[in-house]
This record gives sequence, structure tokens and C-alpha cells, in this order.
Amino acid sequence: MKNYKNNYIQKVSIIALCSTLLTLPACKKDFLNVDPQAQQPAVTFWKSQDDATKAVNAIYGNLRSWENTAFPALAVESIPGDDAEKGSSVNDASYLNNFDNYSASSTEGQFQGFWTGQYQNINLCNQVLANIPAINMDASLKARYLAEAKFVRAYSYFRLVRAFGDVPLRLSLPKDASEFNIPRTPKAQVWAAIEKDLDDAAAGLPQSYPITDLGRATKGAALALHAKVAMYQAKWDQVLSFTNTVMTLGYDLFPNYEQSFRLNNENNIESIFEIQCEIKQNIAGSATSQYSQVQGVRGTVAGWGFNVPTATLAAAYEAGDTRRDATIIFRGETTPEGDIIPATGDNPMYNQKSYVPFSLIITGFNEGAQQNVRVMRFADVLLMNAEAANELGNPTQAKTSLNRVRARARGGVSGVLPDVTSTDKDAIRQAIWKERQVELAMESDRYFDVIRQGRGTAVFGTKGWKAGKNEVWPIPSTEIDLSAGTLTQNPGY
Amino acid sequence: MKRIFTRISVLAGICLLAINVAFAQNITVKGRVTDGGDKSTIPSVSVLVKGTQNGTQTDATGAFSINAPANATLVFTYIGYVTQEVPVNNRTTLNIVLASNSQQLDQVVVVGYGTQRKIDVTGSVASVKGEDISKQASVNPISALQGKVAGVNITNSGSPGSSPQITIRGTGTIYGNLGVLYVVDGVWFDDVSFLNPSDIENLSILKDASSQSIYGIRAANGVVLITTKKGKTGDPVISYNGSVGYKKVTNQIEMANATEYATIINELIKSNDATAAPLFANPASYGEGTNWYNQGFRNALQTNHQISVNGGTEKTTYNFSLGYTNEEGIVKTQDYTRYTAKLSNDFQVLKPLKIGYTVSGTAINSNDIDGGIFRQLYAAGPVVPVYYADGSYGDANDFGLGGGNNFNPQVTLDYFNQKSKNYRITGNVYAELTFAKHFTFRTSAGGEFAQNEVRAYAPVYQATQGQRNTQSKLDIKRDENRNWIVENTLTYKNTFGDHNITILAGTTAQRRKNYFINSAAFDVPYSSDGDLYLALGSAGTRTVGDGGSLRTSASYFGRVNYSFKDRYLLNATIRRDGASQFFNGGDLWGNFPAVGAGWVVTSEDFMKDQKVVNYLKLKGSWGKVGNAGVPVNPTTLTIAQGGNLVAFFNGVGYTGASVNSIVPSFLNWERTVGTDLGLEARFLDNRLSIETGFYNKKTQQAIFDINVLSSIGTASSKLIGNQADFQNRGFEFLATYADKTKSDFSYSVSANVGINNNKVLSVITGLNPIYGGGQGIANGALATRTVQGSPIGAFFGYQVAGIFQNAADVAASAQKTSAKPGDFKYVDTNGDGVIDGKDRVVLGNPNPKYSYGLSSTFGYKNFDLTLDIQGVADVDVYNANIAYRFGNENFSKDFYDNRWHGEGTSTTYPSANVGSTANAAPNSFYVEDGSYIRLRNIQLGYVLPASLMNKLSIKKVRVFADAQNAVNLFGYKGFTPEIGYDTGSGPTSRGIDANVYPLSATYRLGLQVTF
Repeated sequence: MKNYKNNYIQKVSIIALCSTLLTLPACKKDFLNVDPQAQQPAVTFWKSQDDATKAVNAIYGNLRSWENTAFPALAVESIPGDDAEKGSSVNDASYLNNFDNYSASSTEGQFQGFWTGQYQNINLCNQVLANIPAINMDASLKARYLAEAKFVRAYSYFRLVRAFGDVPLRLSLPKDASEFNIPRTPKAQVWAAIEKDLDDAAAGLPQSYPITDLGRATKGAALALHAKVAMYQAKWDQVLSFTNTVMTLGYDLFPNYEQSFRLNNENNIESIFEIQCEIKQNIAGSATSQYSQVQGVRGTVAGWGFNVPTATLAAAYEAGDTRRDATIIFRGETTPEGDIIPATGDNPMYNQKSYVPFSLIITGFNEGAQQNVRVMRFADVLLMNAEAANELGNPTQAKTSLNRVRARARGGVSGVLPDVTSTDKDAIRQAIWKERQVELAMESDRYFDVIRQGRGTAVFGTKGWKAGKNEVWPIPSTEIDLSAGTLTQNPGY
Repeated sequence: MKRIFTRISVLAGICLLAINVAFAQNITVKGRVTDGGDKSTIPSVSVLVKGTQNGTQTDATGAFSINAPANATLVFTYIGYVTQEVPVNNRTTLNIVLASNSQQLDQVVVVGYGTQRKIDVTGSVASVKGEDISKQASVNPISALQGKVAGVNITNSGSPGSSPQITIRGTGTIYGNLGVLYVVDGVWFDDVSFLNPSDIENLSILKDASSQSIYGIRAANGVVLITTKKGKTGDPVISYNGSVGYKKVTNQIEMANATEYATIINELIKSNDATAAPLFANPASYGEGTNWYNQGFRNALQTNHQISVNGGTEKTTYNFSLGYTNEEGIVKTQDYTRYTAKLSNDFQVLKPLKIGYTVSGTAINSNDIDGGIFRQLYAAGPVVPVYYADGSYGDANDFGLGGGNNFNPQVTLDYFNQKSKNYRITGNVYAELTFAKHFTFRTSAGGEFAQNEVRAYAPVYQATQGQRNTQSKLDIKRDENRNWIVENTLTYKNTFGDHNITILAGTTAQRRKNYFINSAAFDVPYSSDGDLYLALGSAGTRTVGDGGSLRTSASYFGRVNYSFKDRYLLNATIRRDGASQFFNGGDLWGNFPAVGAGWVVTSEDFMKDQKVVNYLKLKGSWGKVGNAGVPVNPTTLTIAQGGNLVAFFNGVGYTGASVNSIVPSFLNWERTVGTDLGLEARFLDNRLSIETGFYNKKTQQAIFDINVLSSIGTASSKLIGNQADFQNRGFEFLATYADKTKSDFSYSVSANVGINNNKVLSVITGLNPIYGGGQGIANGALATRTVQGSPIGAFFGYQVAGIFQNAADVAASAQKTSAKPGDFKYVDTNGDGVIDGKDRVVLGNPNPKYSYGLSSTFGYKNFDLTLDIQGVADVDVYNANIAYRFGNENFSKDFYDNRWHGEGTSTTYPSANVGSTANAAPNSFYVEDGSYIRLRNIQLGYVLPASLMNKLSIKKVRVFADAQNAVNLFGYKGFTPEIGYDTGSGPTSRGIDANVYPLSATYRLGLQVTF
């Protein structure tokens, strides 16, 4: 009997052993097939209209990023102008001064940031343009989505070509690693690609949206941006024709200049395109914009106080111009919203266009993260129209558009900001340029506008600007390193 | 007939034996029990007639007397000693010599899936006794390994409850899971901070590839096998271990005082803008000001209690322990409490069948500190008072500081409210069946269930301009791990004449699942902790997010150990692993072979007559191991969907999702191939033992991500792949001398040193380097470079030639267009007349070349003294704190005293403008020698006289006093040169001091009682 028991144990154990050894390989196939957790595999995406919607939404969402709206953008597009300077306390982020005096070298992180931010937009657009066409969905919606992606792609390339000149032109997704490292495309071809995208965008975008889609790119936005793109290339007939069209689309100047930049007047009648920002406590991680925070009045609850107006700007306004007080927060003033700005502190002036009243600052989020970034306004369209008309020998139309902008700036006060009446082409041109300086001040327009006008040395020369070099910024050095020589540097850097 | 009887008795078990002995004649057996080592007598040894409950104990002189059948077997059991069974055989006097467990462990080494006689080991395996670990003030068991084992480099952080970073034989990987594999009683862990050091019987560190390869999949960074205490046959032994002590910051950095601060900030303003007015009109008026470090630090209490019961019969043994540890942080408000409970039972169910289990539970509660507090204490302006006269908080904004130090650290300490709770149950069950004489089949299942909860609450408050909160917020994060492992092994063990063979075959399957959920709500009121529920928050403000990971693996493994005449040794291992990480576009299965051979020279006949060498073994091995510690599904392209991609239209948020990453099409396993040559020898009647070894370890196709062009437009600008080959070559040496003199004096001194050379053999990008180490460095500048021919993460930057003294000096330099007097003058390495990235050179190596330790114990009568020294040499660290500036952060006193502030004031330290982009760029000024030597542990113990204790029925009472890190010698100007890597960035960030947790010394008094 004991022998039997012993044998029994042996048998059981051998059976157990064999079955264990055998079952493991049997289940291995499924056992090791683990799909990504909490992340949707890309192969299951791009299947439905809903996927297409989300992918287009992502393009708009990314426009709020730090690279698109904060330090990198302000360093590259605003601080080098004569309307803005670093601001904040002397010792805080002193490297931003290098953008004001044009000593910034290719290693400055803001170049890499700005570059990366634009290409991130472009990737998201290319994802949409590459993948949505194959989705079975509402055809008109599909066409609109593609047009929206083309608008943002054009906007991003516009910012790139304006800042760097020749840049790598990616109009499709890289198929494999061999397409990662591509050389810079001559800027003429980049401009052409932008124009093509904007043509397509204007054709595919609606003039307006139902209220639930407020904030998406419109036909007017595509045409206005196209006008600006044309203006940077001095294609005046195109500028005129695009702006003329936009002027028929129902836009108008918002009556109160100061109020047009406040939260409750976002997406107003003057708005051509705005980066839509909100603070939603129930959507974690969505209050990403630091646009208002980095420019907020330092020493108050509002922010860090960078990118502040210069004395040059303050002096540029004609007497009685309501835009001076609307653009600049002066130390010691009380804002129209009732905020008392401390009389002493680091900087004499702050940007009022990014200003969010203190009572609306919500702790725990980036200060003023709900403030939309005004990318293009109808006033810009009017001034482009004026400039094009003047260049093309139509001073009457030029002055009509120009004076429309000036009229609003009077703020209902008569006897100030008289209409421009000159008949001299050059005088009108100067008046328009001047008007752009004050009307669009602190809106990241001035620096490249002056370069476009060919006046870089005249306006910025005293700050160190050098013709033949500073028309464009350096290509970020890290990017050149990674390209192993495929990317070249701009002259002088 | 006799054979049959034996067999029946074995199979029938204890009852038959009991019947049998009942017929035998009883005699009185007397004798004495002594220690095999120091020959001292051992009191309280359990003496049991085998198979009965009939037993006694030795008295204070080690003597015993027992009535037993003349043919009985006596079982002698005492904790810490090897149980011995002695047949009486009609003898009336039995003098017993018990071998201590430590001697046993010296002879038998725990290896993967079993034990091996030390003589049979051909790889490199180091054993550390549990008592050497629990003897220290360390709360984490691995922390206490520091300096104990050659080639094992431990980097401790002073934060309560934190786990140290451990590197075995150099950095062999730079991505994913960098930690070693811990196997606790057969269950795999990445971290063992939940273990009470007092519960550990033994640690076995597998250092070479041949010993590791049986754990193929996860062994590349080394394996630490931990055996916890098991029950031992005998009367219950109740032990209590307790200590109380305190921790104190050592080597505290002295910061500039308020007057000095005001002076240097004024200089900084002048440097940035010559026309600007000074911020502080009269620096001297600020006096000493606030010493923020003194304000934030404290002497922290540490309390520890552990009680255990151990015992058993032949059929059942048990070990039960309860532990309590409380450790305050050296920063006020930080606090860590750990409760541990552990129970293990083993049952000899039938003669061939043994089953058992171990289960342990841990509960950890902690009050956490803001991760930025060390930065704040460093940066806060000393001109700002902690409180104003009216009791309100001092506000940096009132002093115009703002920017990088717009805070009052006291506010952070007062309002940061985060509690963590961690609960964990781990355990395993096993059954072991012996059959057909030579076969053992073992099956075991183990697992872990752990839950971590972090609850943070920010009330509404207005403390300073920058530190306020207008809306209360509750954050709750829950993190859960559910892991299991099933293993089956079959072992065949036999001896044929001079041939000894052991064959092991096995399978493993494991699953590791993590799930976390984060949630938050605003406007949560607070009157008590009872309010801290998301449900009390405002509707429409609640958010929830979650995530997780799942990894599975299946493995087959086998091993053959063969020895001939205990003279020639051969070990061979193979493991085949499948890992889910490589599913879908990966190399799903990996094979990991290893072989080892040894020659015990002293067993040869020709060595018999010599008296010089008592023992000599030569050994060599080769093996391959893998590293599956990579992110899950690295080759699967996934969709990004986060708050940053949410689009707003008309103020309403809409989900955004798209592809913003790239993945490689295929990924190979990262493998490490190691070769090991070693020697073990003993001299001077075994008093001196030496172990030495040479190793060469190559990591092939290391997996990590490298930077790719930003113009591809991905969110991270990185791509994972098999990118590089690394090499770690080194030498290890261990010498131990132990002796006992006739005058009750015994001692043992053990010294070890490890030398490691780390080098990158090749990188996929060719000569293009991998830059890293931007964490905590000003402007995120990358301070390390990993490139072919250099060590991993070597410090890289400009070589400082001096300080510009005046404008003429600047004008004559390559930095004429950018520099100011007081700036660093860099060496124009390539002589092209400009200073740019091409002028950067290697500045130092964060991987220590030498790590060493000295462990010694001395015993004299009832006194014992332990003294451990430990250190590293030939290593560099990077002091990132100096230049990590945004504005008016404070400076160290050292910087203040030595700074340049006018022509001729300094030729080594720059001006106050050290934070400017050019001055803050990684350069040789910030690289300092990271060598240190410290008195790691010193403990003095006294065992109360046994005669006294016996009257109280107490077996042993020992009191002790100890100090950890009491003396630290180093030249580094920060808190401590013991700096690991940033866990988010990996070893390319090693050695960068970005406000690390300060070093502290611990002083304790303790009591150990055995009943």
C-alpha cells in the first residue's frame, strides 16, 4: 500500500509537471500579445468622421502652445521690434535682451522652440491632409477640414519663412527614416507652397460658421492671410484684390479699440482669426496658453511682465490717439476695468492688449490663460488695402481705408487724428506705415513689417540691426547638428 | 529486514517512529553545547528527542541533561545555528559543536532558483548577511549595502522612504528600467523599499552574466536575491529590536547673508544694466537676515521597533514579525511611517512533500514636501523675513525680488499639504515534491498587490503676492500594481562516484499590471479631513484621467552544474524569454546562454603537501543577459490625446487627437554579454581570504531614444531604437582577515574595492554625440555628452581659462562681441577666433572609477564594535545650482566671498552675472571633484551578562549606540557629492546636482532582546 502511494505521488507529479510545461507554450501566443494600454493604436484611428474631427481639433489646440504664443514667439516676432522690449526685472531671463539687440546666436533656445512649435503645427496639418481623404465621411465636411488644415499649415510656414528664410518644406508625412532629414527649400518655393495652401483654403472654407464652431478658420482668414503673404512679397495687385474681397465679407472695426481686446469681446466683428483659449476646470491640461501670463503686469497677480511697450512706441502716437492708452498700461494708472497698477515696480509700461483684469485671474492656472490671441484683425486688412491701393496708384482708396482706421482711433473725440489728406504717394505710404506701427503695436507685427518695408537699418540700426544679416534669424544650432550638415546656416550667424 | 523497516518508518512518518521508541529503554544523556567558531558555550539551546515533545534547554554554561531512549535521536536547535541531529546510540555523554548559520551561508550561496555550495560557484556572487543590513540606521535595506560589496555602487538619497540608486559593475543601459532586479523569495520586484531590513536573512548579489542569465529577461542591470527569514525548528524564540535616534543635516551649505545678498544683487543689476538704480539702497541695513536653511531644516526623529517570533516542530515551522518605523525628514513637515507584518509557514506534509507560504503586508503613510522646497531654500532672499512684525509672511515681492525667488519657503512648508498612503501585500506559496530519489519538483506562485494613494489639498489662502490660492483644489491619485509570477522547476541531483551533477529545468510566466487614476476637483471646503472628497467640489470642475501598463513574459530555462572530485567545475545555463514589450514589430523572443568553469587547485594531489595556500580556486565564465526594461510596445504608433490638443470653439472644449510621434519599425532586445575571470584563495589557516576578479561587460544594441530633427514635428523630437554599444570593464578585490585571540578578543576586517571603466563603443549616429543632462541646468543647456570612446554621460562644455578683468581683456579675446568684464573667459579650443559649440571639451566623468568599502567588527567579551568606511574616487559632479538663475536668487557664501566684483578681485569666480546665458553654459567651473570618503556606520554594542538575564528568563539583551554618516570628507561645495541621476532622464544626467536632498547623519540608541 505504501508503495502504491509513493507511485501515485510520482505519477501525479509527473503529470502535473508535464501539463505545466506543456500548457505554458500553448497559451504563450495570446499571453504575450499585449496591446498598448490607455493609448489608442494609430492603426485603429483615421477610420471615422469623428476621428477626422478630433484630428482637426488637435491642430487648433496646439496653436495655444508655449512655442506658438509665449517666449519663443515673442522673442522671435515681437521683442526685436521697436514697439517692444524684454521687460520684467533686469535680472529675469536676461537672454531675451539678445533678441532686442540682435546678438542672439543660433544656440538661443527660443529659436529652437519657435522652429519646433511651427513644425509641430505642420505635422498635425500633414496628418490631417494625409489621412482624412481616405475616410468615408461627409464630403463637404471633409473638404472643409482639409481647407482648415491648409490654412494653419500656411500660417505656420508664413511664420517660418518670415523668421528664417529658406526652411525645410514638408508638405507630406515622412514615409520612413530616409525622409526625416531634408534640406532647406528656397524661400520662393516656400512662399509658393503657402500661396497654394491659401488658395485651397479660401476655396474650401466657409465665410462663417454656426455659433458652435466659432473660432475656426474662415474664408476671410485665408484671404486676409493671403493678402499679408502677398504683401511680404510686394505682390500689390494680389494684396488689393484679396483685401477688397475681405472687405465685402461683413467685417467691420469694433467701435471701442480698448474693449476689442477684452475677454467678453473675443471673436468680435473685427476679428479675422484668433487662437482660441479658455480655462476649463473640468478639462485638465487645456489651459495651456501663457500668452497673457508672460506679459502680465509684474508685481501684481497678473504675470511676469515680459514683452513690454517701449518709450519709442509711447512717443509714436499722435496727440489724442485713444490707442496709446488702450495699448499701454502705465505704472500708477487705473485700468478701465478698475485695476490699480502699482506706481512703483520693474517696468514703466506693460502690454494692455494681452491684459486680463485681475478679478478674472484664476490661481492654479496660467494667469490669463483664457485670453484669445488676436492673430489678424480687420484693421490690418484695411491698412494692407490702403498700402496696396497706394502702391498701385489709387491714393483715394488708400486714404479711404487708412482714414477708416484712424476714425475709430479717435474714440469719438473730434479734432484729433485728422484724416490723411496728402496726395503724395510716398507721404501716404509713410502715413500707412506709421498707422501700422500704432494700430498693430504689441501684436507681433512691427518687427517683420519694418524689414518688409526695407527700413531695417533705418529703424533698428541704432539697436544693432545689420542689413545683410538680420533680415532673418539663425537656423537653430541643435537642428543643424542633428542634420549632420544637411541644413545650412544663414549668412552672418 | 532492516531496509524494509527503514522504509516503512520513513513513509509512515512520525507516529510509527513514536510507537517504535516507546519500546526502547530510557537513559539520561548529558553534555555541553559549544559554538563551532569561538568555542564558547551556548545557553538556551533547544534539545528535543526527535519525534516527541520531550525536550529541554541548555543552561547558562551550555550544559544539558535529558531522559531519552537509548536509540533515540536528539535534535539541537538554536537560532543562528545549523540544526543538528545526533543519534544517542546508548551514549550517556554527548558534547555538541554547533556551526553558526553564518558559516553555513559562507559555504552555501543562494543563486538563481536554488542554492549552490560556494565551492561550486563559477560566477561572481556576493552574499551579505541580513544582520549586516539590519545593523544600520538605514530604513531601506538596499541603502545599507553601500560599501559592502565590491562592484556594487549605491547612491543614497536622504529623503525618508526613498530607494537608493544601485549600479552593479557600471552603467550598462541608459533607458527604461535602469534598476536591478530584486527577487524576494522568488517574486520579482523593481523596488524593495517595502521590506523591513530585520526580516532579511540573506542577500545574494549576482554580479556576472553567467549567474544572471538564469534571469535572462531582466538581468542586465544585475540581480539581487533576497531571502527572508524562515521558521526554524525549536521552541519559540521571541525577539525584539528597537532603536530611537535622530538625523541631522551634515555639511550644510552656507548661503550669503542679507547684507551680502543685497550687495551682490546690486552688482547683478549693474552688470545687466549699467544705468539701472540699485535695488537695495543700503545693503548693510539688512544685517544677517533670514537663514532659510536653518528655517527649513530640523533634527529629525527616527524610531524603529520590530518584534518577531520564530520556531516550529519538525513538521511545521513559522516565522512571524511585526515592524514599525517612523522617520521624520530633515525638512520640517516631512514624515514617513512604515508598518510591516510578515508571516511564513512551512509544512512537511508528507515525507516527500513540503508546502509553505510567505505573506507580508506593508503600510506606509507619509506627509510629503513640495519637490521644489530645496530650490526655494537655496534661492530665497535672506532680506525677506520669515514673518513681518504683524505676524504676516515676509513677501519677496515687497523687496522687488520676484522672478526666480518670488516665494517665502515657510509658506510652501505651511500650505503644501500632500499625504501619501501605500499599501502592499506580497507573498508566495510553493509546493516541493521529492520523488524517485533524485528528483525535486517545485511549483510556486507569487504576487504583489500594491496600492498607492496621493492626496493633495490646496486651501484658499493669501500668504504673499506670489503664493496664494483663490480656489481650493483637491487632487487624488491612485496607483495600483497587480503582479503575479508562476514558476515550475524540476531538479535532478545525483552523485556517481566522483561526479556530482545537478540539472535544473523550469518555466516561468509573469504578468505585471499597473493602473492609475488621477482626479481633481475645485472648491472643496475644509473643516476636517472628512471633507476631502471630490464629491464636495463644485460641479463642472472635476477632472479625471487614468492610464496604465501591462507587461507579460514567458520563459523557459535550464541549468547544468557538474563537478568532478570537487576539483573541476562546470556550469551551463540557458534561458529563453518572450516579452510582451517586443510584441508587434519587435524581437519577441530572446535566448540567453551562459557557461562557467572552475578549478579548485588546492584539491589537486600536488597541492596536498604545501602549507601556504589553504584554498585556491580559479574560475571563469561567460554569459548573455537581456534587458526588457523598455517602454511597453515601443514600436506601436499611438494616438496622442491630451488637454493641450483640446480645441475651443465658442468657449466649449472639444477633444483633439492625432499622431505627434514616430516609432521605429523594429526593435531588437538590448543584450549584455559579460566575461568574468576570478580567483578565490585563503591563507594563514583560513584567516585571510581573498577574492578577486576581472570582468568585461558589453551592452549590445542598447535601447534608448535619441533626438531627431524637430522639423519632423513630433511632440518630443525623439525616436527610440537600438542605438549604441557600451562597455564596462573592471576589477574587483575583496580581502577579509578574521581572527580570535586567546584573550576573548575577536575581530574581522574586510576591505573591498571595485574599479570600473565605462566607455561607449559605438553609437548609431556614428560620431554624432547624444547630448543629455539638461535637467536643472540653466536654460536647459545640455551638460553631458555620450559619444563613441567616452564614458556614458560625460560632462561636456567650455573650458574656463579665467575671468575677464577689464574691457581691454574682453576686446583682445574671442568673446569680444559678447563678453563683459567678470564673465568667464573660455578657451578657444579650435583657435578659430570665435567661441561656439565647437570649442566644447570633455570636462569630467560622473561614473566613479573607484568605489571602496571597509567593514570591520571587533568583539571583546560582551562588547562588540562595528566600523564601516565607504567611499568613491575619481569621479566628477556638476554643480548646477550656482548658475540656475532666473533673477535674484541667493548665492552661496563661497560664491559671494570669491566672486569677481571689479578688476583683480578674482581670476576663478565670475561676477554676480553667473546666470547669463554665456556664463551659465556648461563649463569647467561647475564641474567639481566628486570623491568622498565617509564613516558610513559605527556601532558599539554590549551584551548584558547571561547570568543576570537567566534569572529574568531572558536569553539575551544587547544594547547599542550607532552613527551613520557621522564623518564625511569631500571637497565638493554642495551638500553632498553623492548624486545619482534624474529618474526622468536616466544616466546621461548622472552626477548633476540640481538641489539634491541634503546629506544627513543619523545617531541612534537601540535595544535587542531575545526571550
